[in-house]
Amino acid sequence: MLTCDEYLTPATLADAFAAMAAHRGRYRIVAGATDTLPWAREGRAGDVHIPVLIDVAKIPELNERHVDERRVRLGAATAIQRFLDDAALARALPALPRCAVWFADDQIRAQATIGGNIVNASPAADVNPCLIAHEAVVEIVSASGKRTLPLHDFLLGPGKTALKEGELLTAIECDALPGYGGSFEKVGHRRSLVISLACLAFSVRLDADGRVIEDARIGLAGVCPVPVRLRSVEGFLRGKKLSEELLEEAADMPLDLVQSRTRQEYRRDILRGFMMRGLITAAKRAGADPAVLSSELEAAYV
Amino acid sequence: MARKRGRGMAACWYGIARTATVDRAAAWAEIDDGGSAKIVTGVTEIGEGILTVLAQIAAHEMGLKPEDVVIGDNDTARAPEAAHAGATRQTYMIGNVVALASREARAKLVQVMATMWDVDPVTIRTENGFVFAENTNHKISMGKAVEHCKQRGVVPVGSATFGTDTTGLDGADGSGRPWQAYVFGCQVAEVEVDTVTGEVQVLGVWAAHDVGRAVNPKGVEGQIEGGIVQALGQALMEDYQLQDGHTTTPGFAKYILPTSLDVPQINSIIVEDPDPIGPLGVKGIGEPAMVPTIPAIMNAIYDAVGVRITSLPATPEKVLMAIRAKDREHAQAAE
Amino acid sequence: MSDLAFSAIVNGRKISRTAKPSQRLLDFIRDDLNLTGNKEGCGAGECGTCSVFVDGVLMKSCLLPVAKVQGARIDTIESLAKTGELSVLQKAFHKAGASQCGYCIPGMVMAATAALRINPFADREEIKERLGGNICRCTGYQKIFDAVELARDVQNGHLPVTMLDGIDAEQGDYIGKNVSRIDAPSKVSGRLKYAGDMLMPDMLHVHVLRSPHAHAKILSIDTSAAEAMEGVEGVITCADVPGEDGFGVFVHDQPVMARDKVRYVGEAVAAVAAEDPVLARQAAAAIKVVYEPLPALFNAEDALKPGAPVIHDYAPDNVTKHIPIRVGDVEKGFAESDLVIEEHYDTQAIEHAYLEPEAGLAYVDHDGVVVVISPSQNITHHRHMLAKIIAKPIAKVRFIMSPVGGGFGGKEDMIYQGMLALLAMKTGRPVRLVFTREESIASTAKRHPSKTTLRMGFMRDGRIRAVAFKMISDGGAYGLSTEGVMRKAAILGAGPYVIPNLQMDTIGVYTNNTPSGAFRSFGALQTQFATETHLDIACERLGLDPFEIRRINMMRDGATTHTKQKLKSVSIGRVLDAAEKASGWEKGVSGQRYGRGDLGGEGLRPAVALGARFAADTKQEAAE
Repeated sequence: MLTCDEYLTPATLADAFAAMAAHRGRYRIVAGATDTLPWAREGRAGDVHIPVLIDVAKIPELNERHVDERRVRLGAATAIQRFLDDAALARALPALPRCAVWFADDQIRAQATIGGNIVNASPAADVNPCLIAHEAVVEIVSASGKRTLPLHDFLLGPGKTALKEGELLTAIECDALPGYGGSFEKVGHRRSLVISLACLAFSVRLDADGRVIEDARIGLAGVCPVPVRLRSVEGFLRGKKLSEELLEEAADMPLDLVQSRTRQEYRRDILRGFMMRGLITAAKRAGADPAVLSSELEAAYV
Repeated sequence: MARKRGRGMAACWYGIARTATVDRAAAWAEIDDGGSAKIVTGVTEIGEGILTVLAQIAAHEMGLKPEDVVIGDNDTARAPEAAHAGATRQTYMIGNVVALASREARAKLVQVMATMWDVDPVTIRTENGFVFAENTNHKISMGKAVEHCKQRGVVPVGSATFGTDTTGLDGADGSGRPWQAYVFGCQVAEVEVDTVTGEVQVLGVWAAHDVGRAVNPKGVEGQIEGGIVQALGQALMEDYQLQDGHTTTPGFAKYILPTSLDVPQINSIIVEDPDPIGPLGVKGIGEPAMVPTIPAIMNAIYDAVGVRITSLPATPEKVLMAIRAKDREHAQAAE
Repeated sequence: MSDLAFSAIVNGRKISRTAKPSQRLLDFIRDDLNLTGNKEGCGAGECGTCSVFVDGVLMKSCLLPVAKVQGARIDTIESLAKTGELSVLQKAFHKAGASQCGYCIPGMVMAATAALRINPFADREEIKERLGGNICRCTGYQKIFDAVELARDVQNGHLPVTMLDGIDAEQGDYIGKNVSRIDAPSKVSGRLKYAGDMLMPDMLHVHVLRSPHAHAKILSIDTSAAEAMEGVEGVITCADVPGEDGFGVFVHDQPVMARDKVRYVGEAVAAVAAEDPVLARQAAAAIKVVYEPLPALFNAEDALKPGAPVIHDYAPDNVTKHIPIRVGDVEKGFAESDLVIEEHYDTQAIEHAYLEPEAGLAYVDHDGVVVVISPSQNITHHRHMLAKIIAKPIAKVRFIMSPVGGGFGGKEDMIYQGMLALLAMKTGRPVRLVFTREESIASTAKRHPSKTTLRMGFMRDGRIRAVAFKMISDGGAYGLSTEGVMRKAAILGAGPYVIPNLQMDTIGVYTNNTPSGAFRSFGALQTQFATETHLDIACERLGLDPFEIRRINMMRDGATTHTKQKLKSVSIGRVLDAAEKASGWEKGVSGQRYGRGDLGGEGLRPAVALGARFAADTKQEAAE
């Protein structure tokens, strides 16, 4: 059971920093709160008393949303559900709706925030591999100033981030990739409310004929302490003609990235299958030529 | 093909009511003022639909509508013993005893009306809240009939008890009569196995179960559907885990239950082979519904991908690793 | 602690109250507003029994600190049938038979309401996806999907409103008719009160202190600090039990609270009754128990080894119950067989996971009768046991069975009612205990895990000649229903087949694991899993179709069972025919049926790929 003496809901960033300064060492920041409450239960942290909870979800700066053809800027308190119900976001971040639909359930997505998901730094966090593949940068603000960090530098390990005392994660900026085909592959023990054993996010752009891979973005999570971007695979694919052999070769490339000590053989095995499946699906959504990407090929892997 | 389909089947049998001991239940019934009825017996709904089943049985036996039947809650100080809500015994034990008690209450009312109308009691019928004598113009509402009873000093009540002719098991060879009613079932499952992840989706189950006599077919289907999905949970995902006696699956985030997205379409076929002993012919369905599901699914997985899962649950990892081991064996055999 | 001045529009009415800063929205609506329609099933956002609308968006109220919804418009299940008339969706749940125990149903109705508000034309697959956050343990979801589709079609005018009406039977014959459930209106509206929803004037709240050890001697229990706390009205331990301290379904081997030693993690050691639940928790934490850990047993094989630690003095071999069944001569039968197959089967422990965690109330009435209200599946037996435990005549003990929010056998054990009775007697006030989900999982019985060795001998034509079946099952720390489970496993395990030579042994064993107990299908599930899988293996080896091997071996009318009981009518042939026909089964040998035509037809759902809503978007775009 989580108990507190005070639950503060600052209306501005300045109020939030004032509260953080006043209660230094005695507070915890909450945004969606969807993980904080379950955390303070038997089997996890047990009964927890935190003197002051500071809820930043309603601060206007944390609720910004700006999307153009090149960049996306999202306040950290943006609910995960927006990836599903905001058409402009879905267009700019084509893998994210596919990821979001696997994320918890509709109700939790309406409450859980993108910033919270990042700050929790769970190796299995579904949103992170998508964002990493979009060159995401996080914006960190404190009472004394602002700094930005690439997301992959922000995430240091399971539960560990570069966030310092007195700082708040306020926004995420990343590439908009309109016109890309997106896909997301994940496995757990069921199909709703499920934690990933492994997940992969893909965004692929093809040439006008749907035959040449002009760009590919791939993020991987669940199998290593922090999500990783598969840059070497992306580089290998870029500019090449789409073919089964090409994808097979690409699929073999990232297997050594699996670091999880548990279920390693299984995770390596599905990673290869997910590479094929995710690339084929993303390419199809990017308008691949059916002569290259046949329905037989699809059935063989997807 | 990345996704492979297969089908498997399994059969089952089950015994109805308490095992290898004498089971018993009692009920009181009263046709009440206004033509409604009160049934009192030691039963409360645990979700199976027993209250509706008892209301149907009482209405059927007394000639009322189910909505006119009030069922007293289970209270050891206020209701006769009907024993526990389990062992697939509710419809069989309580259903039968409510029928018997209802018949006795009705007989009291019928006797009064037969005397009043000067007809043979067997010609009197009670249906949907009316009492009438065949081939006469005598027809009144049940409420009016109760009024007539009371004017003649009769309250139409009944009580009944129902017990089983069963024995314990012999300690050496197990011989005995554990139940007086048995049911049988058979299920076919169709699965899709994802050979990339090892995930198994059960897409369809056909379930044929003998229930004796279905009092409420939709309720029977509900039991079959619920049982199959619970069994599917055990087959594919649920696993209560302990580490040195401490659970590592302390909540529903770790103890994985089937959601709406994990369940197959379930096609129930109700078979009726009436029980020759009880007054209604009913038997039961609660527990047998889930017995054939797991082997049907495991046999379907084998049919789809050629691996036998003999240790539950068949998690994606277990299934995929079994597929890979089989592939390696085949490759070695080929060399 | 600074209380919050909290205001919101709840079910259309403005309310202003003070709230505690760490209260969740769920606590506020249930405890402060007494709107108990929405339930707490897990407290961790994993089940959906608490789903409510916040400013029109469905959310899980157990995950919402109340301060988060300051000033919001909140609609609970009670908002849907405010005028007394059920909503179309609620009526459809009633008509379709979508509620069973009803505990998940308020949340499920809310989720379905949200689904049809977001997409009034959602198809069945999208409906499933949108209900994905709400767990139901009873229905298998089918009738829930039916209900939502029915409501959708009525709302859209595709079906007449009369489709929601009940049925009338000709000639008053109500047997065999789909009479709508009489308890459904109270369940779809949230009006039905389960034990955890009930209040009594002057009621105290109970919290149980549980063992952190799997096996340990209790050297001392010091309750003084807890008793000294203001607002703590009673603390009990085994020393407060006046009568014969033991309960169980077959052997009464479990004390109401641990006596002299604890035998599993989660076993009750002491209990507190206090003015509020948080205080009761804190007081329980203040009880000092000194333990001396003992060697513990964590699997049945170890427990059966000579010299293993003894868990119960009365069972020095740690065997709870062994049930043998013997027919003919199995060794001779195997010698006569053309084919002998041996295999091992393991089944795991399973949690009942009824959505309603255990809860109960107790009080002592004006005549000195000790009254316990709880969702017990067996109040008849509980009454007998409690009378002995509290040393009162049976007439001075009264059990009332509250609506059961799912049982599946898990609520047959009297694991907390004894503590409630003792606290009501000690404090002279009504007391209530509501388990958390974690407490329910850690402390209540599980399905017996099993390890089976099965050997079957067959004749070339498929006839079973001999079966040797041995199952060892971990019964955990206490007996509960183990004896009965072993018995049913033994009687039914070999299946409804004619077996001239049978040797069946089912052995339940004590360990220091969470106790195993009654669970729907009670030993028959574990054993018939082994037998029915084994027959499939035999089919492949013998070149038989799986229906065929069962028809060859099945009992027929007048058959004698493995316990030498003569049966009258045997319906196995009929159910085999029915399932074969309905499924359109194409004959063939198990495992060699590839390439046949019986797959992918009627009666299936499409495989889930997630994203049914994207398909709907595409369709809509196409329509536009």
